[in-house]
Amino acid sequence: MTVTIPASVPADSSGVGDVRPPPVRRAGRRAGARRSAFPPLRGLLPLVALLGVWELRASADSPYFPPPSTWIEGLGDLWGNGTLLPAALQTLSTFAIALAVATVLGTLLGLVVGASRTADRALGPTLEFARAMPPAAVVPVATLLLGYDVTMKVAVVTFAAVWSILLNTRSGVRAIDPVLLDTARCLRLKPFDRSRKCVFPALLPSIFLGVRVAAPVALVITLLVEIVTRVDGIGALIASAQRNYLAGQVYGLILLAGLFSFVVNGVVSALQVFAFRNRPSY
Amino acid sequence: MADVARWSTRVNLPGLATMGAFVAAWEGLVGTGAVDFEFLPAPSGIADALWSLVWSGEIFPELFHTLRSAVVGWMIASVLGIALGAWLGLSDTAWRYSMASIEVLRAIPPISLVPVALLVFGFSLKMELTLIVYVGAWTVLVNTVDGVRSVRPELLDVTRMLRMSRLTTIQKVSLPAAMPSIVVGLRLALSLALVLAVVAEMIGNPSGLGNALVRAQQALQPEQMFAYVVTIGMLGVALNAALRLASARAFPGLGAGTDPS
Repeated sequence: MTVTIPASVPADSSGVGDVRPPPVRRAGRRAGARRSAFPPLRGLLPLVALLGVWELRASADSPYFPPPSTWIEGLGDLWGNGTLLPAALQTLSTFAIALAVATVLGTLLGLVVGASRTADRALGPTLEFARAMPPAAVVPVATLLLGYDVTMKVAVVTFAAVWSILLNTRSGVRAIDPVLLDTARCLRLKPFDRSRKCVFPALLPSIFLGVRVAAPVALVITLLVEIVTRVDGIGALIASAQRNYLAGQVYGLILLAGLFSFVVNGVVSALQVFAFRNRPSY
Repeated sequence: MADVARWSTRVNLPGLATMGAFVAAWEGLVGTGAVDFEFLPAPSGIADALWSLVWSGEIFPELFHTLRSAVVGWMIASVLGIALGAWLGLSDTAWRYSMASIEVLRAIPPISLVPVALLVFGFSLKMELTLIVYVGAWTVLVNTVDGVRSVRPELLDVTRMLRMSRLTTIQKVSLPAAMPSIVVGLRLALSLALVLAVVAEMIGNPSGLGNALVRAQQALQPEQMFAYVVTIGMLGVALNAALRLASARAFPGLGAGTDPS
């Protein structure tokens, strides 16, 4: 069946076939607004001015506030002695593995808690308590139980990142359109097909929203674990530079960490755009 | 009678039962040696350790120290964040000429600033507070800006129609309309404040729960360490609940705005 477009519709409205009102779910709207409204670039002026003044006024061997040029030198030193690249790779791989595990785990738990009120009430307090636990407090426990290695790092980061995915999946499951499930029942879809064709696509936006929130958290916690335990990675480099009073290196590494967080946000946004390329409303 | 009925629905028995079952299973597994991690104590051991820490009063100075730094830092951060955020949200010029800088600075993972704070302030309470204020203020600020800027334009039209002064507009429309978003920021900042207090104490400031936790770990006293972990968790739950209660009292109509996500 074709949709006939009334002639009165202005030519510039591209979504004419789409007569549904825009999605009003708080979650989706917030993510969309954040993306489109990146502030104008002239807003960088104060930061640039600050860095300029800093560069000109600070002495090169200041132990507390070394000028920006020494930050780059510090990074260059670390690159030169071959510690920077392995550390960066270790941080990024820990982050990526943990985020992947957290996504799978959070989605599964969110499905259970979202689908059944009983399960929600039964698991609620336990999950609430675990969520309120500052990840930092989990680090010593994890080191005692798992030792100082990558498994421990991944475990702590997963623990910190899983909550937003879990909560968003839960509210996504609650908000699934019952008509969708009825349709699946009418078509006599098998359980596997039903989850693949109806439930999963309907949940994907919520899961993605959870991942968007979880990704920066996972990065922060990766650095936290590395700083606290000094198990290899960028965080460990920052901690050892601070111990040796190499202020330039500390600032340079922080710059790098900020860059990572920009890249991570960019990658998650790009993935989201890719996953929803056929859905104009997200 | 009615009270009893209400309490039984509010207390969430199945939830408590699950928690109890979880702890019992842990106790059973460790007690019978079915699960044998070298440093995993049984819940009864943890309870004993917690009890003796409370009984000897050893835990209270640490608890108060962490609580005080988290709450004081959070309050300063809230005031700063709301004031600056309201200004940036209301003035288009200020927003245009600073928001990109703020986004960039905010992207720096807060944890990576701990070593800088350590470098500049050394091992002290000042370092802990500075860290909490700095990180918390960004969160509150960004949420306030978002809230103030997303006030529905119709509402602003109404204020113009009623010829409200600028101050009245801010007071009666902009801030109340931004309140749900601000409260979300305040809650995020409070949990961040606790996290940062603990982190700062773990690696910098030699007092507080975080420091006690690390000392217990290094002394290989897992029972005590878990007791401190449980205390920190309960502190987190209590702070969150207190803020939720306070915001429900202060802004009864808010409801959905305080939903965690």
